[in-house]
Amino acid sequence: MNDENLSILALITNASVLVQLVMGTLFLMSVLSWIMIVQRAVFLNTAQRSFREFEDIFWSGVDLNNLYDEITEQAQEDGAVDGIENVFRAGFREFNRLAQTDKADPDAVMEGTDRAMRVALSREEEKLSTNLPFLASVASVSPYIGLFGTVWGIMNSFRGLAMVQQATLATVAPGISEALIATAMGLFAAIPAVIAYNRYAAQVEVINGNYETFSDEFSSILHRQVHSR
Amino acid sequence: MGNFLSYAMAVLVSIAVHVLVVGALLINWQPETEHVMMQPQFIEATLVELAPKKKPQEKKPAAKTPAKPKVDLAKKKREADKRRAAQKKKAAALKKKQEQALKAKELEEKRAAEAERRHIETEFAETLAEEQAQINAQEDDRIANSYRQLIQQRLSENWSRPPSARRDMETVIQIRLVPTGRVVGVTVLKSSGDIAFDRSVEQAAFKAEQFLELKQMAPDMFERRFRRVDVAFSPQDLRL
Repeated sequence: MNDENLSILALITNASVLVQLVMGTLFLMSVLSWIMIVQRAVFLNTAQRSFREFEDIFWSGVDLNNLYDEITEQAQEDGAVDGIENVFRAGFREFNRLAQTDKADPDAVMEGTDRAMRVALSREEEKLSTNLPFLASVASVSPYIGLFGTVWGIMNSFRGLAMVQQATLATVAPGISEALIATAMGLFAAIPAVIAYNRYAAQVEVINGNYETFSDEFSSILHRQVHSR
Repeated sequence: MGNFLSYAMAVLVSIAVHVLVVGALLINWQPETEHVMMQPQFIEATLVELAPKKKPQEKKPAAKTPAKPKVDLAKKKREADKRRAAQKKKAAALKKKQEQALKAKELEEKRAAEAERRHIETEFAETLAEEQAQINAQEDDRIANSYRQLIQQRLSENWSRPPSARRDMETVIQIRLVPTGRVVGVTVLKSSGDIAFDRSVEQAAFKAEQFLELKQMAPDMFERRFRRVDVAFSPQDLRL
């Protein structure tokens, strides 16, 4: 018994098939959740930065028509544009189209512009919060999966104990030890996911708030323009 | 395009993190188990540690003695060189003599050191053997105690309490056994003062009939300690 190798690798390879399955699932979940974590971190940070940059350009007094042309050009080059530029583009395009028609009612123009911006906003929000539900479910489910593996492993090792006449700690300890690895892995997968989910949810809310504020401000500018004519 | 790139980077980072964690665990886990296994050896080593302390002390003088003559030799060589200018042959003869004397001295010293070292080694071996014997005796005591406890437990299992039994009573009986563990005779060595209690203990020993566990015992240990075994019996765990 003492010669038995109790390294983590040996414990994992000696575990029963179900416990190994649980461990594999947890490992996969951990890998996937880390992919999401890294990807979201990059995406949200770039979104925040590009919003700030865009706001700086927007309030620097640049001609809105020029800005619109520039962004459209960029969009055609890259294939797609993310973030606040989309909202601005949708709103401005709709505004121009409606305003160019003769006898346009200012209220109708504003209503159409607002609607277009709202659509673009909700699209952006969707983009921001992709993968967050996955993180949330990893965070809440993986401890349970780990616990299931542990309970199963301990159950098996106690069942083995019942067959033995002289029960020592050494007969159950390896089984329990290998079963507990499942719980450890569950927590290992869950903890980063919980932290990341909370952090990113807050970040998405902030960015969303920023977008909404901007669209309101932009809409008020357009409103002034429409009514001053 | 940008989306795909960011995902690829995320996959790489994630895999790197997991490989790192798994690697750290695998590397760190191994020495820990080794440490645990080393511990019992460490306790044994305290006894042996006396020897290496003595040995270096012994070897140091042996190492120093050859060093001194070398310095002397060098000095003498230089002196001889000076003299050689005047009296070459005489000096050479003198030098040879001195060298021989030095060599003889060295050899003698070496032999003495060797003898002393051997003496100490044998002494050490003796003390080691003594210690080993002591350890063996302790081990024997431990085993004997466990058997004695077993006999006591069996007695209390087979004991039926007489009405006059009290908690503070103690009877010492001697049980005679044969190597199969069978009880062949019981005598009361020290009475508790209550005849009924003494008899009940005696009866318990007879009722136990055979201690099967004693079969596994080493024969010499049985002869030394369990051919006749004195057992004190007192109903301590009774609520009376």
